[in-house]
Amino acid sequence: MPQFKHFPLPDVGEGLVEAEILTWHVKPGDTVTVNQIIVEIETAKAAVELPCPFAGVVTELLAEPGKTVDVGTPIIVIDVDPTGEAAPVNGSVEPERVPNLVGYGVKAVTAKRRARVGAPAAVPASAAVSAAVAPVTVVPTPPVIAPEPVAAGGYVPLAKPPVRKLAKDLGIDLAALAGSGPGGVITREDVEQAVAPAAAPAAVASRGERRVPIKGVRKATAQAMVDSAFKAPHVTEFLTIDVTPMMELRAKLKDSAEFRGVKLTPLVFAAKAMCLAVRRTPDVNATWDEAANEIVYKDYVHLGVAAATPRGLVVPKVRDADQLSLRGLAEALEQLTVTARDGKTTPADMMNGTITITNVGVFGVDTGTPIINPGESAILAFGAIRDLPWVVDGQVVPRKVCQLALSFDHRVVDGQQGSQYLADVGALLADPAVAITY
Amino acid sequence: MAAPTMDRSTDTPSAKPQTITMIKGLNQALRTEMERDPKVIVMGEDVGKLGGVFRVTDGLQKDFGEQRVLDTPLSESGIIGTAIGLAIRGYRPICEIQFDGFIFPGFDQIVSQLAKLHYRTQGRIKLPIVVRVPFGGGIGAVEHHSESPESYFAHTAGLKVVACSNPVDAYWMLRQAIECDDPVLFFEPKRRYHEKAELDLAVAPQPLFSSRVLRKGSTATIATYGPMVRTSMDAATAGAEDGLDLEVIDLRSLSPLDLGPVYESVRRTGRLIVVSEAPSESSIAGEIAAKVQQECFYSLEAPVLRVTGFDTPYPPAKLEENFLPDLDRVLAAVDRSLAW
Amino acid sequence: MSSPERWSQPQPSGAPAATAASPTAEQVIAGLRATSEGGPELVQLLTPEGERVEHPDFHIDITPDELRDLYRDMVLVRRADREANALQRQGQLGLWVPLLGQEAAQIGAGRALRPTDMAFPSYREHGVAWCRGVHPNEIVGMFRGVDHGAWDSVAKRFHPYTIVIGNQCLNAAGYAMGQRFDGKVGDDNGEATMVFFGDGATSQGDVHEAFVWASVYDAPLVFFCQNNQWAISEPTERQSRLPLYQRARGYGFPGIRVDGNDVLASLAVTRWALDECRHGNGPVLIEAFTYRMDSHTTSDDATRYRLSTELEEWKLKDPIERVKVHLSRNGFADHDFFDGVQAEADELAAVLREHCVNLPEPPPGRMFDNVYAEPSATLEAQRDEYETYLAGFAGGEH
Repeated sequence: MPQFKHFPLPDVGEGLVEAEILTWHVKPGDTVTVNQIIVEIETAKAAVELPCPFAGVVTELLAEPGKTVDVGTPIIVIDVDPTGEAAPVNGSVEPERVPNLVGYGVKAVTAKRRARVGAPAAVPASAAVSAAVAPVTVVPTPPVIAPEPVAAGGYVPLAKPPVRKLAKDLGIDLAALAGSGPGGVITREDVEQAVAPAAAPAAVASRGERRVPIKGVRKATAQAMVDSAFKAPHVTEFLTIDVTPMMELRAKLKDSAEFRGVKLTPLVFAAKAMCLAVRRTPDVNATWDEAANEIVYKDYVHLGVAAATPRGLVVPKVRDADQLSLRGLAEALEQLTVTARDGKTTPADMMNGTITITNVGVFGVDTGTPIINPGESAILAFGAIRDLPWVVDGQVVPRKVCQLALSFDHRVVDGQQGSQYLADVGALLADPAVAITY
Repeated sequence: MAAPTMDRSTDTPSAKPQTITMIKGLNQALRTEMERDPKVIVMGEDVGKLGGVFRVTDGLQKDFGEQRVLDTPLSESGIIGTAIGLAIRGYRPICEIQFDGFIFPGFDQIVSQLAKLHYRTQGRIKLPIVVRVPFGGGIGAVEHHSESPESYFAHTAGLKVVACSNPVDAYWMLRQAIECDDPVLFFEPKRRYHEKAELDLAVAPQPLFSSRVLRKGSTATIATYGPMVRTSMDAATAGAEDGLDLEVIDLRSLSPLDLGPVYESVRRTGRLIVVSEAPSESSIAGEIAAKVQQECFYSLEAPVLRVTGFDTPYPPAKLEENFLPDLDRVLAAVDRSLAW
Repeated sequence: MSSPERWSQPQPSGAPAATAASPTAEQVIAGLRATSEGGPELVQLLTPEGERVEHPDFHIDITPDELRDLYRDMVLVRRADREANALQRQGQLGLWVPLLGQEAAQIGAGRALRPTDMAFPSYREHGVAWCRGVHPNEIVGMFRGVDHGAWDSVAKRFHPYTIVIGNQCLNAAGYAMGQRFDGKVGDDNGEATMVFFGDGATSQGDVHEAFVWASVYDAPLVFFCQNNQWAISEPTERQSRLPLYQRARGYGFPGIRVDGNDVLASLAVTRWALDECRHGNGPVLIEAFTYRMDSHTTSDDATRYRLSTELEEWKLKDPIERVKVHLSRNGFADHDFFDGVQAEADELAAVLREHCVNLPEPPPGRMFDNVYAEPSATLEAQRDEYETYLAGFAGGEH
C-alpha cells in the first residue's frame, strides 16, 4: 500500500534554524532514487544541495521556491511504496531531533509515564457493605497504600526507624500515639504499651462524647467510599432464591472423599456461581477506566471476598477464581479467611480484584445495598439462609431460602446485563445442576 | 562470581614470619610479582636509581634492569598514557605517581582512556595496570602532598580502587592488584609507611575487593579505610575506658565497596560512624552512608555520622592536626550517635 | 629529508595575524596564501596537474598496477565517506566525521604500514582504517550510536578512535616503547608504530609529552600529523607560530612536511619514516599538508568561518584527480578501469547503507557489559535492579 514519507528540512549547518528553497530538481510524479539531489536550499551563507533519503515517487512538494522554511518542517512527501493499493495517508511526523556538532541532538520528551504491566492506576480495592447492621463498618485500606498518617501540625510522627518497624509489625498507628521521648518522639515503650487492648486513645473524660480525629486508614477508606459511591451510578437489584437443592448437594459433597479435609460452606457455592455466571455477562467483571477512556474486559476473575478480622473488614482476593474447581475454591476461601483472621493478609492479596462477594448472611443479615469496590463494576451481597415458607408444586412448604443483592455500575453494566447476571447466579444456586449447561 | 585465585607458584615456600614496615611490604610485593611475570614492569619518576622518594622501589632497578624499572620523564599524563600503550602491547605496568596531589595531570588519561578502553572495545583490550598513589596527610608537608583524591576515581566506572591500611594488607593487596586484569588505583597511606607488622606468608590472604572486621564490638560500628584505620583502632582502645565497645571495619576496597560486613554489623549495633580524611562533600563516606541507610533503615538508632576532613583545601602543616580526624573526633561522633 | 639547519626562521611580522578579530584584506590574503602553499620544503612527487616530479631526498618506484591500486583505494574511501555523510543528513547517523580531501595522506600513510606495525588513529582516519582491513561497516556503528567502535583493534592493529584530542599519542608512544623493549626494533624486520593526529592536536600537552617520551626512549614511532588547516573554526595560525613539522627540532628528531594531497609523496615519505623507526632511528614527525574539504563534522558549518575562495583553490589540488589525470595521460588506465572502480565504489556505498540502516538497536543490558574484566558485585546488582524495573513496563523494553 502507498507509504508516504515526509522529509523534513534538516539542519545542514551548525545551529541552522531556517533556509530558503531555491530550486526544486524534481516534481510530483517523478521517480526518485536514494541520494538523488532533489532540491537546492540557501542557508545564511551558502547554497546546499539536499540528497533524497527515500526512493519512490514524489507525491507532493510542500514548499515553493523563494519560501523560507524552518528546520524540521516537511518539505516533500514521497510515496515509498507506490505500487500498493490506496490506504489512508499516514502523515504523522515526529518531532525532529536537530543534530549538533557531536551527535543526534536533543530528544523531545513528553511528560507522560510509560504504561506498566498489570497495574490499573486506580485506588486499590476495598469493598464495603452499607451500614445495615452495626458490626459491619467501613473497611480499612491496606496499610502499604495508605499514606503515612498526618498529625495535627501536618508533620510525620517522630519515631526512629526501628520503632517504626515495630509499630508497623504490630499494626499500631503511630499517629494515634503521644510520644514520651524528648520533643515528642515516640519510643519503643510507647508502642509496646499501645499494643495492650485498652481501647480509648485519649484521656478518659466524663460521660459525654469521645472525639477521634479522622485520619489515616479511616480517612482513606472514607475517601474511597465516597469516590465509589458518587462516581459510579449504583443500581441494586434483589433476588430471593430457594437454595434447598444447593444445600442438599452441599451435604452430599461434604461427606465425599473429594471434599475430605476442607470446609465446604454456602459461600463457596456462591463464589462458584459468580465465576460461572461471569462467562455469560462479562460486563460485571469489567472496569471503567476513566483515564484511558476505555472499559477493560478481563478474561480472568480475581474474586474479592469480604472478611471480618480483628482489625476490621478486609477484602482479600482469590486470584483466578474462575479457574479453580469447587474444592479449589473451598480451600482458597478457607485459607483466605484464616489468614485474614490472623491479621496477616498482605497488601498484594488485597489488590486487583475484578468482582466482589460480601457474605452478609454470616451475620444473620438478609440483604443490603452494597457499595462497589473502586476499580470494579459489581458486588454481590449473599444473605443468610433461613427456613422460610416457599411455594413448591402449588403447596406452601418450608424451604432453605436466601436473598441475593447485586449492586452494579450503570456506566458499565446495563439493567439487562445486571439482571441477567443476578438471575444466572440465582439459578445456579437454586439448582446447581444448571451448571452443566455452562 | 569467585575472585581469581592468586598465583603463589613463585612464593618463597618456607619463609618465616617477619616484621616488616609497609614500605618493605610493598617492595617485597613488587619484587615477588616481577619475579613471577617478566611482563610486570615498574614506571614512575625517580623509581629506578633512587628507588623512589619513599624507597618503595628500592633495589628493583639494580636487579631487574632499566627496561623493567623505568625512570620516566616528569610527565604524569605520559606515565599513564604510555602505560596504556604498553599494556596493549602485553605488559603489566605498575605506575607510581609520586604524590597524591600530582595525579591530576594524569586524570585525563585515567578517566578518558584507562577507565574506558575495556568498555569501548567490548572487552577486547584489557588494561591490567596498577597506579600506586601515596595519599593522605599527617606528614607535615607543603601543599599538594597530603591529598585524598580517591573519591574522583571511585566515581569513575571502569576503575577499581583500593586502599591498604597496614603492612600485611599492603603486601597481599598489591600482589593481588598486579594480578588483577582490571586497572586498579592503589592508594597507600603515606603517614603509615613506616609502621610495622608481622607478615606470615603461610597465612592466606582474603580477596582483594573485600572488607574486614578488625575489632568486634556492640556499641557502634566504625567503617573506615587507609590512614584512618589506625586512628579508629586507637579510638576504640581509648573508648573502652569509657565503656564504649566499638566495632571497627577496614573497608579496604573503595570501588567496588564490600558493605556486607558493614550491614551485618549495623544490624547488631544500630549505629554507624564513617571515618575518612577526605573532605565530606560528595565523598565515598557519603556513598557509604547512603547505602547503609537504605539497606539497614529499620536498624538505625541514629543517622549515619561521618567524621571527615573539612571542606577546605588541605591546610598548611601547622593546621593539619585540626583538619585531620583524630580519635577524639571519632569518639565525639560516637557520643553524638548514642545521644540520639 | 629536511634537516634543522635548512629550516626557515619564523618571520616576525609586527602586525596582527589574519586570525585577528578584524583582519585587513592584506592579512586575509596572507593568511590564504599560508594555508594554500606548503612552503619551499614541501615534499612532492606528483603535481596537482598529474605530472611526476623528482625530489632530492625522496623517491618512489611505483608500477602502474600499484598506482591503479592507490587510485582505487582513494576513490572507494571517498565514496564511502560521502555515503556516510549522506546517511547522516538522512538521520541514519548522529554525526559523521568527513575525510573529504585527505584521501591521499591517509592512503599513502596507510599503505606504508606493514602487517606487524601498529596504528593509533584520532577519529577521522577512515582511509587508514581501510588500509588496515577495517571496513566502513565496522566504523559507522559508533556514529550511529550503537557502539563505541566495533572493530577488533588488537587483531587489526588499528586502535579504536580516540576522541579526546591527543591522548592517543601517549598511548602510541607506550606501545612503541613496548616494541623496543621486546627487542623488535633495530633491523629490516623491525616493527614500528604510527600515530595520527591533526594540527589542532599539536597544542595539547599529551602530544608534546609524547614527543618527549618517544624521543628519550628512541621509540619506533612515526608521528603523522594531518595539517588540514582547520581545527573546527580555528586556523593553524592559532596553534603555532611556525610550521608544524619544525616543532620536531625542539625535541631532537626529524620533521618533514609532505604534500598531503600527493599520495606518492605521502607513501614515499611515510615508508622512509617507518623504515627509520624500524631500524631504531625513531621517532619521526611527518606533517601532511592537506585541506579539510568538508566541515569538521556534519553539523559544523564551515561557511561561517572560511572563505569559499580558499575551498576553490584547494579543489584545484584534488588528490584523486591528479592521479586520474596521470593514469590517463600515461595510458595506465582506460575508461573501463575508471568505470569499474566507480561501479565498485557505488557497490561499497550500497553495502554500507544497507548495513547501517539495519544495525540492530543494542539491548539495555548491553550498557552493563564489559565495564570490568573481572566481575563487580555492585555493578551486577545494579544491572539486575534495572532489568527488573524494565520488566515492569507493558510492551517490554524501551
